[in-house]
Parts: sequence; C-alpha cells; structure tokens
Amino acid sequence: MWLLGDVGFEDVEIRERFDPFLRTSKERVARKYGVVGVNVRGRRPRT
Amino acid sequence: MAVTCPVDFDTVRLRDEIRSIYSRVAAAPEGEFHFHRGAAYAETFLGYDPGALARLPASAVESFAGVGNPLRIETLPAGATVVDVGCGAGMDLLLAARAVGPRGRAIGIDMTDGMLRKAEAGAAAAGLANVVLRQGDALELPLESASADFVVSNGVLNLASDKRRAFSEVLRVLRPGGRFLYADIAVASELPESIRRDIDLWSG
Repeated sequence: MWLLGDVGFEDVEIRERFDPFLRTSKERVARKYGVVGVNVRGRRPRT
Repeated sequence: MAVTCPVDFDTVRLRDEIRSIYSRVAAAPEGEFHFHRGAAYAETFLGYDPGALARLPASAVESFAGVGNPLRIETLPAGATVVDVGCGAGMDLLLAARAVGPRGRAIGIDMTDGMLRKAEAGAAAAGLANVVLRQGDALELPLESASADFVVSNGVLNLASDKRRAFSEVLRVLRPGGRFLYADIAVASELPESIRRDIDLWSG
C-alpha cells in the first residue's frame, strides 16, 4: 500500500481483508507468504 | 506482490499468458482454473449481495474472478462517472452502472476481447445504457486525464508488470478529489526471486 502513497494518493487505507485462495491450488503458497485479498481506498489530492 | 517484474522477465509473454487465461475464463468459465470464479465464490468469499448478483445477466457473473469487493468500500453516488480497470465480463461494472444511474457513466476497460464482448452483451441484457466499453491496458488507460469521479479495480493490477505505472495511470484519470476503490492481493513480505520469476503465479 506504500506504493499508492508514493505515487501520490492520499488517505490510503485497507478497509477489509479476504481469503480468495482458500481451497485452491495456490492456498499453500498464499499461506506461506501471507497473501490475502484486500479492499483499499485512496483519493487523488484536491490540489 | 512485487512492484515490478525482474529486469529480464518476459513481460510480453506475461501479457500473452494473462490474455490467454482470461480469454478461457470468458469462453468457458466452468473449466479448470486455479482460482475461484462466479456467483457462489463472490457471495461466500467476498461478501457480494446474492440478490444484486441474481439481478445481473448470468454471463456477467459466471466469469467473475476478483479477489475482493471494491464496491463495498463506498457507495457510488448517482450521476458519477466510474471507471472499472480490468472490467472482465462486467460484474462489478454493471453493479456500478446500476449504482450511478442513468445520469452517470460506467466505463469498462479490459485488454481481453472475449471479456469485453461478454461485458457488452451483459450491459445490453441488463438494459444499462450508461455503460461504455473500451479495449485497453492498465499501463496506458484510454481515458482523458481528470475524467473520472471513481476508479474501481478488482484483482487486476496485481497482474500488471509495472504497478507504479498502473497506479499512476489511475491517479491521472481521476479528477482532483476522486476516489480509487481498489481490491487486490497483498503480501505480508517481499516475495523471493523464484516466486517473482514464476509466470504462472504472476498470471493468476
């Protein structure tokens, strides 16, 4: 999420997390590296 | 997720692989893939409203392969212009089109022909005249600067070979004060080189 701020977004915030890899062939890799789905919001600065 | 591919990574092959996989998802969503798809997945794993999905054409929902639920972050107001980057067969796009209503616009961008055709058919079947579809790439959005009130994206930008450039494009097309409602995968720590070089893991 740091990248969004680095590019210029403001108010970057993770709002929710999900587990889209549960019961898929990628589940083991996802667990090993802490891969999750996230809802994120950001805003272009007004000025 | 890695911000960029390794320097010598074959990004052309990555792009082709992504297009190939998602063309198959469009044409035969019931086929074998290593990721979940469709309404039951969206409802059970990602919290989509079953009633709202039931009111969409099945073609728009069956190929859905997102990783989050960006429309849950904030309610889209009537009259807004919203862009869906990597709209696929159009599930989020059509939900957004309903939310912004006839005074608003929902613009779907995707690089896969098959997905765009499904999204177009879905919009017509749903009677949504405020949907616009354009073929394009997240690294170079076919949109004017400062033209969107909202940009949404779901499980797409993690596939981009240059995420900084993709995010910069989103920023460019948003109006000042515009909101990015974004769902994607995130990792707890930097991925090892072997994972970053695995095109299969990049593409889906």
